[in-house]
Amino acid sequence: MSNETSPAGAAKRRQGIDFKRYLTSPQFFLVLIIVVLVGIIGSAKPNAFNGAFVIAPLLTSVAIFTIVGLAQMMVLSIGQMNIAVGNMAAFGAMFTGLAFDLWKMPFIAGLLVGLVAGALIGALTGWIIAKTGVNSFIVTLAMSFALLGLIPTVYTTLSPGSAFTAKPEGMEFLGRGTFLDVCMAGYCGPAAIPVMVVPVLLVVLLVGGLYSKTKLGREILLTGANIKAAELSAIPTNKRVVLVHAISGALAAFAGILLATSTGSFTPAIGNEFMLQSFLGPILGGTLLAGGYISVTGTFLGITLALLIRRGLELFGAGIEMLNVFLGLILLVALSAERIRTVRRRKPAELPSETPPDQPADRQALSSGATA
Amino acid sequence: MKLKLPASLGSQYLVLLATIVIGAVVLGISSGGNFFGPVSMQTFFQFLAVPILIGLAQMITLAVGQLNLAIGAIGGVSACLAAVMVADWGFNPWLGALVCLVVGAVAGLANGILVVVTKINGFIVTLATMTVLLGVQYALVNTRTISADNWKPVAALGKASVLGLPAIFVIAIVVAVLVGLAFKYTTTGRHLLASGDNEHAATLAGISNDRSLTIAHGASGLIAGFAGFVSFASLPGVNQSVGGDWLLSSFAAPIIGGVSLTGGTVAVFGTVLAAFVVRLVDSARAEFQLAPAWVNLVIGAVILGTVALGRLRENRESTKAGMLRARVATHRINAPHMAETAAKEASL
Amino acid sequence: MSTPILQARNVTKTYPGVKALDNVNLTLAGGEIHALLGENGAGKSTLIKYLTGVHTADSGSLLISGAEQTFSNPSESTEAGVGVVHQERNVIREFTVAENIVLSRTPKKFGFIDWKKVNSEASRCLAMLDFDIDPSTPISKLSSAQIQLVEIARALYTDTKVLLLDEPTASISDAEAAKLFKVIHRLKDDGAAILFVSHKLDEVYAHCDTVTVLRDGKTVLSDAALADHPHDEIVNIMVGRSLASLVTPERSVNTAVDPVLELRNVTTTAGHGGISLDVRPGEILGLYGLVGAGRTELAHAILGRERITEGELLVNGKPAKIRSVKDALHDYGIGYVTESRKEEGVFLDANITRNIAATTWGKLAGPLGVVKVSDERALVEKYVQELGIRISSQDQLAGQLSGGNQQKVSLAKWLAADPKILIIDEPTIGIDVRTKRSFYELIWGLADQGLAILLISSDLAEMITLADRIAVMDSFTLAGTVENTRHYDSMSQDVIRLIHAKAPSH
Ligand SMILES: Nc1ncnc2c1ncn2[C@@H]1O[C@H](COP(=O)(O)OP(=O)(O)OP(=O)(O)O)[C@@H](O)[C@H]1O
Ligand SMILES: [Mg+2]
Repeated sequence: MSNETSPAGAAKRRQGIDFKRYLTSPQFFLVLIIVVLVGIIGSAKPNAFNGAFVIAPLLTSVAIFTIVGLAQMMVLSIGQMNIAVGNMAAFGAMFTGLAFDLWKMPFIAGLLVGLVAGALIGALTGWIIAKTGVNSFIVTLAMSFALLGLIPTVYTTLSPGSAFTAKPEGMEFLGRGTFLDVCMAGYCGPAAIPVMVVPVLLVVLLVGGLYSKTKLGREILLTGANIKAAELSAIPTNKRVVLVHAISGALAAFAGILLATSTGSFTPAIGNEFMLQSFLGPILGGTLLAGGYISVTGTFLGITLALLIRRGLELFGAGIEMLNVFLGLILLVALSAERIRTVRRRKPAELPSETPPDQPADRQALSSGATA
Repeated sequence: MKLKLPASLGSQYLVLLATIVIGAVVLGISSGGNFFGPVSMQTFFQFLAVPILIGLAQMITLAVGQLNLAIGAIGGVSACLAAVMVADWGFNPWLGALVCLVVGAVAGLANGILVVVTKINGFIVTLATMTVLLGVQYALVNTRTISADNWKPVAALGKASVLGLPAIFVIAIVVAVLVGLAFKYTTTGRHLLASGDNEHAATLAGISNDRSLTIAHGASGLIAGFAGFVSFASLPGVNQSVGGDWLLSSFAAPIIGGVSLTGGTVAVFGTVLAAFVVRLVDSARAEFQLAPAWVNLVIGAVILGTVALGRLRENRESTKAGMLRARVATHRINAPHMAETAAKEASL
Repeated sequence: MSTPILQARNVTKTYPGVKALDNVNLTLAGGEIHALLGENGAGKSTLIKYLTGVHTADSGSLLISGAEQTFSNPSESTEAGVGVVHQERNVIREFTVAENIVLSRTPKKFGFIDWKKVNSEASRCLAMLDFDIDPSTPISKLSSAQIQLVEIARALYTDTKVLLLDEPTASISDAEAAKLFKVIHRLKDDGAAILFVSHKLDEVYAHCDTVTVLRDGKTVLSDAALADHPHDEIVNIMVGRSLASLVTPERSVNTAVDPVLELRNVTTTAGHGGISLDVRPGEILGLYGLVGAGRTELAHAILGRERITEGELLVNGKPAKIRSVKDALHDYGIGYVTESRKEEGVFLDANITRNIAATTWGKLAGPLGVVKVSDERALVEKYVQELGIRISSQDQLAGQLSGGNQQKVSLAKWLAADPKILIIDEPTIGIDVRTKRSFYELIWGLADQGLAILLISSDLAEMITLADRIAVMDSFTLAGTVENTRHYDSMSQDVIRLIHAKAPSH
């Protein structure tokens, strides 16, 4: 058969393609644009590199929105979508706010309450999808409007100012602290890096590890690739769908809580801006809408790019309406990259190996994403 | 138009009709009959035009297996542009009305062409154009509300009646009938459905899917622009909130009306009936003075309920068919002479 | 000789990375049935797609009735009188039978669709096939064999001078195939040219006049008279070397052992009634029946995808409670190789490693569910070697493999799971002669290793070759079970008699 080649030939071919593929991968493309953009912004506005006032807030939002992007990416990986990410974030944050304000819980406990609430609402969504077989778009759209109705009502009933403002110890540190506050042996870290980066990085690694290393991640990706075939391969697909939505809900809640800690109060408006961004990151980063393929690094880079452009436009004094226009345009323009990629993926034979065997296994999660 | 419905669909329409009647009666009673008063009825039908139109606009994209998230933004921008042109730039009000339709068609075609040329998923394309258009809408009117006094002749149409019904409602119904006829009697309409059902098979039959996608998005945009025109004509003023709450109802009407998300089906009658239901929920909110958020909650629940019930019914039917077959099978084993009776029973 | 109706000259077509057609020549004359043969992936479907304008070629020319033509889309070929039934089903499921038939040229009056004419035109085409069905039936109510017939009717709708049939008999019953051949012969007598693709050589010899053989995209036998080339020679030409004939091994099943899988008077939600079966370790139990007899559904009932409402399902003599394929595998060691490999058997967009390892991660996973990549690859490599799956590397996507190799991947996935009972559903549909043989040897080998095998097949010859006992099903009941003597004539009579004995008498 023409597909068969000698091992040596295959290896050689693969090397050539790997190099080409690396240069045309969405991740490389994103890094390139990010570097160029930083260059442009930096030369036009030298004060843009003020650590505490520009970089730290930027990194904070990158951290928060990376989690939002991952929440969406998880659901995309099973070929579904979550229109309610923003509302789930608000839902989780609401419970944390309640826990702090009304139940006087300490910081960590309140955080956990919010995460659990997010996971539960996500699991409920996933359960409805799995049980009824109704399209995830419809279920999450309905869920988003249900939560949109519910959350402001709870806030207005339970708090006079429609916001929970109690600040238990630790909230300030996580939300607004930078490494300047972390001092060891008389030496403090840079003010440009917020403390929030640490837990977020941890979550990113966990999600990456889940997809590239574990049984669960593999089963989730196959569920996304072809749910019927997955079920017939002894994968409990219904459970996987529920689990993925639960994790997505918990991640959304985490992002919502982080946002609340960084602004200092819990309000119904949390998560309003999440939906568009949540798609922007993963899709720019090469995650397929059709399911079965994800990229954690790509999601992170996609989010970074989107926020960088946003920040840049703000620095140049663009109004909120222009931000919207640009954000939409970026999504369209940069997405042509996904198209090229998809076409490339369908091509037979010359198709590159998705996880090159010569690559150290422990770098897979971050270099090429996980692959079905 | 001949209305020959498959049995299952027919029963779905009956359920919808019953819901509308019961809902109207409940509202009538709880309002002490006021709901059926002339003024209240006039408003009811006047504000029914938009749900019908946006439902149809969404239905057309669903027919080719696409989603259009930008319907609200298209309607909003077209109404706002018309308002700004008439009020700020001194254009003729009727020209403003025409601009609504043109903006809608152009935006829709842009969606279609983007989907075709870039091959990006329609969901993402319309998400992006929605964001862009929302920015444009905000840029146009900012925080102002432009009063309808600037276009009195058009606003008069918005309040006019034909045969005792608001003119704009009648226009919406006319649009619905035209859409229905187009899907039944024109090859273009059939080709949209074919593309939505099975792209590959459509190609093999010589149908251009690119053309179908462009036409569907274009028509969807045009009708969204029409909804923008209706808002322009009937609202007391136009501001940046026009179109902001159309997303859910645009999906609610076709989906409750029996259109599948995977493409290949339309249900004009069902969509119109479901728009009635959506409007009733809104009326009920006004009647009981609930927060607008509750409308969303109820509509969301109704959508879920309808779709889930449909699934349940399908499952039950296939189980029932299986059980009947099993009865026939067992009969044939245990008592061959009784097989025929059972077979007859099964064929009923 | 008069000018041939269709002539393709020196056609070359490359998909990225694959030369699917390499200087192919084909001549179709009116009044003849021309067989197009070749192994899986030889390029048969690609040639047909070129002839009908679905794909364009890199080079080569096409002559219709002597005049040079280039089809850039399918409607141009339809206009030129080339009718086709592709290998995959291509219908609009939400439309009626009638509308599907006329879709490429819908009758209109005053610019609007003339629904009356649509139905009458469709009835005309259906009548040509003796296919008795209401043209206003929605396609979604039809079985896949019926849909196949609708597609043939569609090919007859426009004035068809050339009819191209890509494996039309792969998934229809013998009775339906007989009907199809009747039509083909009628068209032949009317002077049409017919191209017939099939992996079933018996029917090729029974009905075709001339033959072209493709191998790796090249024409290795061109427009020859079929009568000049006996069966074995054609097989050798297809394969490219001489293929030893298949030897049926001596099989003996230890009847003293208790059955591992047993159904006792089972009734299911799918509609089965009173089914009793048993399979012993090392035994191949064939489950034969016509398409629609409820065999796949019975497999699904065993796997818990349909509920068993009455009767008992016993595994190793103990009642089994199975609610999903996962339960079936993990609790009872039952595996299931599905009949539709493309839709349910393989993950087309996933690589070979993930495809084959899919059932084994539970075993491979260490603490925290972490799977070691090297273990995974070694396990997959073992089965790739054992089954002789032809891949360029484990990172290749399954969608790029030929049909036969995809089927092997689907089987490998279940062998890797190490089941005790394996249900294999229609393993050789659309599979070429050589791969079929290697499958037969594989299945015998598995039984020799002590696996209990429940083999579902609609191919009676295959059943008689492989099975130790044959259970015959008919409309969701069991018509009877017979010991396989492996004498084709007497066995086929026995089996057919069982089916007819069960058919309701009027
Ligand atoms: N769309 C496609 N893109 C890329 N390669 C393809 C495509 N379709 C077919 N091929 C490749 O072209 C070759 C010929 O395929 P083709 O489908 O014509 O084989 P075939 O003779 O019809 O086989 P079968 O008997 O299995 O139907 C194979 O190697 C196949 O992998
Ligand atoms: Mg083929």
